[in-house]
Amino acid sequence: MSEHESAGLVKTLRPFHVWALGVGIVLVGEYMGWNFTVAKGGVLGSLLAMLVAGTMYVIISLCASELGSATKLAGGPYDWARLFIGPGAAASVGLAVYMEYIALEAADAIVVASISQSIFPGLQVYPVTLLVIALLTFINYRGVVAALTLNFVLTMIAFIAILAFFFSTAFGIGDIHPEYLLQGALPNGMIGLFAALQFGPWFYLGIEGAAMCAEECKHPSRAVPLGQQAGMITLLIGAAMTLYLCAVLIPADLLGVSVYPLFEAAQNSGIFIFVALLGLGTFLTCVASANGCVCDSSRSWFALSRDNYVSSWFSAVHPKYNTPYRAVIFTMPVAIGFAFSGYLDQVITFSIVSGLLCYVLIPFSLIRFRKLFPETTSKVRPFVGPLQPYIAYFAIAIAITILSTLFWGYKYNLIFAFVFYGIAYFYFSHRHKKSNIENNWAEMGWPLPKGSGNRRIKKEATSIGDE
Amino acid sequence: METNDQALESKYHSKLTGDTALVVGMLALLVCVEGFIIYRILSETWEIASGFFYLYVIFIGLIVLIETIGCLKVRESIKTHMFEFKYYD
Repeated sequence: MSEHESAGLVKTLRPFHVWALGVGIVLVGEYMGWNFTVAKGGVLGSLLAMLVAGTMYVIISLCASELGSATKLAGGPYDWARLFIGPGAAASVGLAVYMEYIALEAADAIVVASISQSIFPGLQVYPVTLLVIALLTFINYRGVVAALTLNFVLTMIAFIAILAFFFSTAFGIGDIHPEYLLQGALPNGMIGLFAALQFGPWFYLGIEGAAMCAEECKHPSRAVPLGQQAGMITLLIGAAMTLYLCAVLIPADLLGVSVYPLFEAAQNSGIFIFVALLGLGTFLTCVASANGCVCDSSRSWFALSRDNYVSSWFSAVHPKYNTPYRAVIFTMPVAIGFAFSGYLDQVITFSIVSGLLCYVLIPFSLIRFRKLFPETTSKVRPFVGPLQPYIAYFAIAIAITILSTLFWGYKYNLIFAFVFYGIAYFYFSHRHKKSNIENNWAEMGWPLPKGSGNRRIKKEATSIGDE
Repeated sequence: METNDQALESKYHSKLTGDTALVVGMLALLVCVEGFIIYRILSETWEIASGFFYLYVIFIGLIVLIETIGCLKVRESIKTHMFEFKYYD
């Protein structure tokens, strides 16, 4: 092992950094994208999609809080699947997380460039996209604290913009049109209620990534649950405010196809300060999301590399900045590849499918964790989530239901994703069966999992028989 | 786990109260905002939504219930481990 590889990630992050990472990635989905629920199911379909997806994400964030504060590892969902399910599932989840965030980063960078071009028409979209990706990669290369402090500031401004707009509108500043609610209530009938679910995750997509900075937290058992739950509540509040504001300021048929719905709602309110605030919020939230995506996708690649799922060359930690710098730099060519592929809508859909795969496997990891380590000690499980494992099963059921709704319009994306992750599952299961690597629980300071004693005795007995 | 240092204990309990106030404030805002929005949307669309309004009630109930219990558990966890892991040093 080289000198670089022996260095560890710096442990300095606090709960507000965890909040900034989670909310920073997701808040962009409340500024744009979620409104496709209105196109499918009208205002009532969108409201139901927001609540159903919200229920699933509340449970997922509780599972992530428990698993993240227990394992304290940078890989997040990948490491949980590796420890509690197996190598095939781990590789699938690790790749799913990587694809989910890197595709989002590419999409965010293009939107930042498009907004810049609309402000300064002389600019070209692709060079600015390149510049944004390069700049964010550099910030993440230099250090996680600076990157997430920047995210905190950007995200806070974008969230305050929504809060100010909502409370002003609720207290009667500016004209609203409550009649739009009934006019666009349910344009496609009851089937629309079900179809709208496929875009429900947009309100919260990526919040589970907040737990991926656990290895870099000063006190992960406090920072991860507190930051993650505060982030989840922030998103629930933001989602509800966004839906209401847009539904009473934009007619449903226009809202369903809007590119920047919150900004358009501010324009329709006719109040300049909100137009400026929400315009700025749209821009900043895209930058914050891309920044958080660089952080999370690089940690997932770093974790895959550290366990030899991909080349171990990427697992080096910078001796001065304590960042996984090779994994961070590697996000750049991949994001540029996605951004310049010309199939951005397909890339985003692939990102959603990848996310939903994680939402099946994260609660399943928790169920396995509880079975393998039933004891609650401060070493193994400092934070104990409520109502488990029942709510974990419920989250899996919701995730599968939402996945099934993707058959309306995204059948081939779904089939491609299943084939891709299926191949990854069997390839890595086979590879790791041959290498016979076992988890080193003692290194984590954990006892042996339940039932492992019996397995070990059986293994030793078999080897004696062979001799 | 408790300590014998009164000043440290008082600092820790005050910081814990800060964490609790933050989460309680956010939960209160969540309940008010979600309640207001669901009421406004359902009351305006009642002639269509009256047949299935219970779906909204069930899911908002689940969100508030699970999140509230989750936040109580977060507070309980911080209170249990704050001296052991020196959260506020």
